[in-house]
Amino acid sequence: MKFGKRWIPAHLLVWSYAVLLLVPLYYFLASAFKSNEEIFAHPFALPDSFGLGNFSTAFSSADLGLAVVNSALVTSVALVLTLALALPAAFALARSTGRLASAVEKVFSLGFLIPTFAALFPTFLLAAATGLFHTRTFMVLFLPATAMPLSVVILIQFMRTVPREMEEAARMDGASTYAVLRHVYAPMCLPGIATVLLLNFLTFWNEYLYSLVIIGPDPAQRTVQVALPTLKAITGTDYGVLTAGTVLTLVPVWIVYTVLQRRMQQALVSGAVKM
Amino acid sequence: MRSSPLTRRGLLAAGCGLAATTLPALSGCSALAASEGAPDTLVVHSQLGTTAPGSATYLRALDRFRAENPGLKVKNLVNGDDLAQVYETARLARKEPDVVMVNLYDKTLAWTDVGATVDVKGYLDDWGLRERVLPQALAAWTDGRDRLRAFPYFATNWPVAYNRALLDRAGVTEIPATGDELIRAARKLRAKGTAPVTVGGNDWTGQKLLAQIIQTFLTEDEARHAYSSGDFGSRGARQGIDYFVELRDSGVFTDKPQGLTSDSMMTQFNTQTAAIESAMSSALAEVPERVARHTDVGGWPLADGAVHDKPTILRSYTLIGFWVSPNGTKKIDAVEKFLRFMYRADTVSAFITESGRDMAVRSDALSTDFPLVAAAQRLGSDVGQALLPDVYVPPTANQPLITATSTSFTRGVSAARVRAALEAAYR
Repeated sequence: MKFGKRWIPAHLLVWSYAVLLLVPLYYFLASAFKSNEEIFAHPFALPDSFGLGNFSTAFSSADLGLAVVNSALVTSVALVLTLALALPAAFALARSTGRLASAVEKVFSLGFLIPTFAALFPTFLLAAATGLFHTRTFMVLFLPATAMPLSVVILIQFMRTVPREMEEAARMDGASTYAVLRHVYAPMCLPGIATVLLLNFLTFWNEYLYSLVIIGPDPAQRTVQVALPTLKAITGTDYGVLTAGTVLTLVPVWIVYTVLQRRMQQALVSGAVKM
Repeated sequence: MRSSPLTRRGLLAAGCGLAATTLPALSGCSALAASEGAPDTLVVHSQLGTTAPGSATYLRALDRFRAENPGLKVKNLVNGDDLAQVYETARLARKEPDVVMVNLYDKTLAWTDVGATVDVKGYLDDWGLRERVLPQALAAWTDGRDRLRAFPYFATNWPVAYNRALLDRAGVTEIPATGDELIRAARKLRAKGTAPVTVGGNDWTGQKLLAQIIQTFLTEDEARHAYSSGDFGSRGARQGIDYFVELRDSGVFTDKPQGLTSDSMMTQFNTQTAAIESAMSSALAEVPERVARHTDVGGWPLADGAVHDKPTILRSYTLIGFWVSPNGTKKIDAVEKFLRFMYRADTVSAFITESGRDMAVRSDALSTDFPLVAAAQRLGSDVGQALLPDVYVPPTANQPLITATSTSFTRGVSAARVRAALEAAYR
């Protein structure tokens, strides 16, 4: 395929946009190998060396290894719980046509109206009253609750695209309600499930305020988002170390995003063919 | 229909299994929940422990303490700026740590009043530690009702650092002692492409320098009144603001200081982009040897008619103290052991010699590896002293004062607007 001159402006725009995205990424990665003096004096210069000193300092000082494990544990269990609750809820609401179902769906949508910060104090009181303050368990139970509105609303929309005939055919083959969800709706809603997983993973992994207050600063329990700011000192932050620590904590996000994004695209394509 | 390997019964069993194995691991038996109430575990909440100045020395001290007290476990919890918030919520849930190491500023000013921490005056005397503390530090940590808020520990000198090599290169032979000399020096430095005074106009470093300059014409009592009440209408305060505006508009400060922070300030000075900074001990300890060897420390230049007779510096004895929580009083024997250890001469001297920290505790040790810190300690009565307003500013006014500072360092903002911004911070 040949591109004529009329494509030049489009190419220029696309490449400019790509550079615009790459410059902060380059600055971020380059800073992870620099000292404060290099970062501030020559922000866009290449690092003098590519030694991993900043990374090892960040990893050991903030105990990032354990923090990543804690984050992974909280995030993965919370994701499983979210799906376990949102899938049946969305399935029921998507197939129901009554007024009550419509009202319940609206209740889920109302969840978007609650600002995160406004719920902090009641959530803290709940954690203290249940004896789960300073535990990861509370966050594992709490995060799915915050994710339910978005997850249910997204999954309902996907499930409504499944033709009724598919369910009727399964029923004629003797499928139970659970089997219909398991064998008809869930496979056909994989793009939606992947979307919900991806969005919630990013939210759960990056959650800071509640993790800070509820789980607390104990290195044995704290998540990576709570561990990372301990690298910032009031008097004289080493930004090279802080940036290196940030890079380390972003690696799991990058891996999950890459894997799920591919799955999501595959599911979208296969779903289209099936339909 | 093809049968699935995952049946409803299987799914339920897997779910129950997952819940049974992960939830206990996530809660009760994990470290903090178990150790908070454990009588053999002392929980210390600190800003030291990662990369903050003095952290390495502190962690070594903790290791020594553990080795000397094998029956007593010490858990060190670390937070940065958010320590006060985390401690307060933990206290509300009655799960607060036993000892907190933090400065007297902003939220912590109210802790003794609201019972978040206890008066430690009795403990200080019972444990015979009073003689170990500098009298100025005791005074600074004692509140209006004669309660000692915490055991004083870190102090700081806050002099002005002058890069003599850069001044010499610009033809400035004497360290400026007056405002006029400083303005002339700034012009010469700018002519050589060097920024004169670098300052974090967008954070606490700018706030402190602004307070120091405003106090040029204020006595200590007047300064205390101004910063407690937010009334900057007195003659001395207005003269001080005028002096600040004159310096600022004469180009004394680096370009666009209203956008800079303490980190950019330190970097500009340490990379010799700027010749002068007002820096506390921990910042002086970070000055590289190649810069430190031709750097002098002194005071901030005065204007004609100033109430001080010598250039001023700031000093603070409230940088870090050991606060004892209500939970800590239940383990007071462990707290006593810890405090006695931290006040011991060898522990105190390690902070001075290894980390270049100034202490609020008596010690004969000198910061030989940190010449600028030692030089600042030796300034003594060669300089005047301005009041550090931290203890007097109401907590609600602290953040607005930083915003007002940024406005104040913006070139062209009139003295009247600077005063209005400062006073608005208290409303």
